[in-house]
Amino acid sequence: MEILRCEGVRKVYGTGLNQVAALDKIDLSVEKGEFVAIVGASGSGKSTLLHILGSVDKPSEGKALVEGVDISTLNQTEAAIFRRRKVGIVYQFYNLIPTLTIRKNILMPLLLDKKKPNPEYFEQVVKVLGIADKLEFLPNQLSGGQQQRAAIARALIYRPALLLADEPTGNLDQKNSREIIDMLKLSNRSLNQTILLITHDEKVALKADRIVTIEDGKILRDEKRG
Amino acid sequence: MMWKNYSYDYLKKNKASSYSIIIGAFIAALFLSFLGSLFYNFWLDNIEGTKQEEGGWHGRITGELGTEELVKISNFANVDKAVVEEESSKENQTVVDIYFKNKRTVYQDMCRIAEALGLSEDVCSYNYQLLSLYFIRIPGDDKPRMLMPAYLAVVALVCVSLILVIHNSFAVSQNSRIHQFGIFTSIGATPGQICTCLLQEAFVLGLLPILLGTFLGVFLSFGTVWAMTAFAANLAGGRQMRFMLHPVIVAAILLLSVFTVLISAWLPARKLSRLTPLEAIRGMGGLELKKKRRFPILSALFGMEGELAGNALRAQGKALRTTSLSLTLAFLGFMLMQCFFALSGISTDHTYFERYQDVWDIMVSVKDTRIEDFRKTEQLKGLKGAQSCVVYQKAQALCCLPREAQSKELYSLGGLEAFAGELSSDEEGNLLVGTTIVILDDKGFEEFCGQIGIPPQLTGSIIWNRFWDSVHSNFRYPVYIPFVEEGMDTVTLQDAGIKARQETGERRSGSMAEIPVIALSQGCPLLREEYEDYLLVQFIPLSLWKEISGQINGVEKKLYIRILADQREMLDDLTMLEEEIVQTLSPEYEIEMENRIQKKLDNDKMIRGFELVLGAFCVLFAVIGVAHVFSNTLGFLYQRKREFARYMSVGVTPKGVRKIFCIEALLMVGRPLLTALLGTIVAVAFMIKASYIKPIEFVRAAPAVPVFVFLLTAFAFVALAYYLGGRRLMKISIADVLKDDSLM
Repeated sequence: MEILRCEGVRKVYGTGLNQVAALDKIDLSVEKGEFVAIVGASGSGKSTLLHILGSVDKPSEGKALVEGVDISTLNQTEAAIFRRRKVGIVYQFYNLIPTLTIRKNILMPLLLDKKKPNPEYFEQVVKVLGIADKLEFLPNQLSGGQQQRAAIARALIYRPALLLADEPTGNLDQKNSREIIDMLKLSNRSLNQTILLITHDEKVALKADRIVTIEDGKILRDEKRG
Repeated sequence: MMWKNYSYDYLKKNKASSYSIIIGAFIAALFLSFLGSLFYNFWLDNIEGTKQEEGGWHGRITGELGTEELVKISNFANVDKAVVEEESSKENQTVVDIYFKNKRTVYQDMCRIAEALGLSEDVCSYNYQLLSLYFIRIPGDDKPRMLMPAYLAVVALVCVSLILVIHNSFAVSQNSRIHQFGIFTSIGATPGQICTCLLQEAFVLGLLPILLGTFLGVFLSFGTVWAMTAFAANLAGGRQMRFMLHPVIVAAILLLSVFTVLISAWLPARKLSRLTPLEAIRGMGGLELKKKRRFPILSALFGMEGELAGNALRAQGKALRTTSLSLTLAFLGFMLMQCFFALSGISTDHTYFERYQDVWDIMVSVKDTRIEDFRKTEQLKGLKGAQSCVVYQKAQALCCLPREAQSKELYSLGGLEAFAGELSSDEEGNLLVGTTIVILDDKGFEEFCGQIGIPPQLTGSIIWNRFWDSVHSNFRYPVYIPFVEEGMDTVTLQDAGIKARQETGERRSGSMAEIPVIALSQGCPLLREEYEDYLLVQFIPLSLWKEISGQINGVEKKLYIRILADQREMLDDLTMLEEEIVQTLSPEYEIEMENRIQKKLDNDKMIRGFELVLGAFCVLFAVIGVAHVFSNTLGFLYQRKREFARYMSVGVTPKGVRKIFCIEALLMVGRPLLTALLGTIVAVAFMIKASYIKPIEFVRAAPAVPVFVFLLTAFAFVALAYYLGGRRLMKISIADVLKDDSLM
């Protein structure tokens, strides 16, 4: 089942002579449950693609469909609700809300929808991510790795259609990097979670089922791995 | 270097981040220039007033001084002029007023002059008041001269509060670039360079607003002086003020404003420049809490947004502390002032206007005239337009009161001495009670007889048989008991000099007069008089006074005429009657006159003037508070773009963000308001208790409208700041903000 489709997505910054195309006619399709790594050099346009898919940015041209909905046409409120319910985004610098406890941070998307969390699912996620005993802490009381786990938990709590991870290990040491990727892999396997991982680290990319290579805003290679 | 290569471009590209600084600098200059020029004019006015009251001389020599000495004094190098003061000079005591060129050396020069004249230093005296206004303290002047220190203290206080206000704006702007300065330090910028760069920015941003604020402040101060002069022109004895400004004062104001702005910038700049590169580069997280907080009420009322708003304000605690304090003080000051005026208005009405509304229209006081010598009574009584006229004079004496003559009620409360303290007694053990004798013209006395329902007679005294039971009542709602027992036929009056005798406990008898008592009355004649508590008040006719005035002295120097007019509603009618009175009494008698309507108008004007001055200070403080909130909120929101990007990245909708803004604005105003409200309630309750005013009376006169308008204004400014800041925030690119702060 196709969960994500990009049709001729183009993103241009600047005007006139200063115009730069960060993405140039990207076509991409992702099936449910796939673990896709998007790799590319710095400035290749991979983060721009992720921002468009996460509806925090809009394409200049083309369509980006998530579960059949063209997210490029959403207004601000619709985009916010889309982010809340349909995608979970994991950033390199975690972007947890520093004034809320880890529990509240994780539950935030649900709380904004005034929904009660499923306690069993919540337990399962925090247990799997190894932060069950850190729930009442504030983000600044946790290590980088722990904060990133909390960010992943927050991304997963709504069971989103798509989990977008932007260099999630970029700010972590090797041990933590490995663990984070394993957890993403685990959520992909056990929860059938579709994941789009952006990285420039080849070792990390090799953990994915499919590797899409972007260069100068274009897809250079798209290879499935055994 | 940094200014040219970094700050200039940064300020050019980030104009919005400078707004709060520009506003802060403008406000600082506005207030300092307003206060500075206003106080300068107050100072000049004080000097003028002192010169008018005490003379403009600096030093004075008293002694046997002739023309030769006068020439000698005038020839002293620092002496501007020496003038003989005729009024104080006596036959062998010439008083010479000396004016100096340089006032700083007055004391030394005066000593030298005395020495040169062969006199001791004791002959020198100084115009302490005037010299203190020039900040010159003369040895021997032991009075506290607080006026100038008070002016300076207010200016210093305003400076400090302004620094508190603006330094936050600078802190917000500077902290939002902490990452960038981290990069600068990492590539070798010294703390000094960073600090200098930030101060340069402050100077450049502040220069124009300071000039503009100074100009506007001077203009405002001119307006205030003009308004005060216009107000004083309508009051008797009001002195005219002329607005003046010296270039040195303008320069001082400008320097003070620049100093205030630079100190405000320096405080956060110093902190920022001392951060290590690592601290600076890492320090981009924005809001953080040291420990978790719960906001159950906010969460219950507003959901997740309530909790986020509560947390954000809590995390900004330090930055918002001065905002909260400013608003709390502004609210408190304004509400207290309004309540105080309301209470004072109620009190004045009680004690004066309501009480004396129907007892007088015109009061004339005739100087240095004894009632028995006054010849115009009949003419005054016959004036067209005068419905009733009473001529009276008061005298103080002692009354020999047998202890058993006190009323039973008074006796049961412990007797007169329980209220008035220990009293002297005569040889027979009678109490010597202070008594106020009101001598009424005969016709007025007969009218009073009619008023209390006894046949008119001029043979004795009518005692006002009334005593305030201060044990069971307060002064506002007094309960009275009889002073003396019924059946008192005569009263023995003793010569005045009451105080001296009571103080020394002297029992020596003065000359005495025994007069018949024709009635004990519960009422008194309609006079605008307030009688001292615990004194026996009695009214006697002029004919009787003539008989005893040889024995009883203590008569006051002034004679009073109380007139009730036929037409008492219009000021013009009373003014016309006043003119007739002047024609009748002048030039034979030296009189002072006031009428009820004019007095009420003057009193209202005075209260309004008082309110204006106090209110201006209160509003000044409130404006500082509100301006602080405004500038701080603007900067505060700008600094929080990362925080809001985070909210939005997890699905907070624009409506949700607006909700957070509304809750924050509500909290920002609501908390200081609640604190101030509590403070005001406590203070007002205390004032109500102390003044014995019924709470319901205050509730009826409570200044709800001005307080509401003021609160609404404060809230509107906070809301406006949130609106402006929020509008900018909503335009941010979440992707860019969450990626990096360093490219702002």
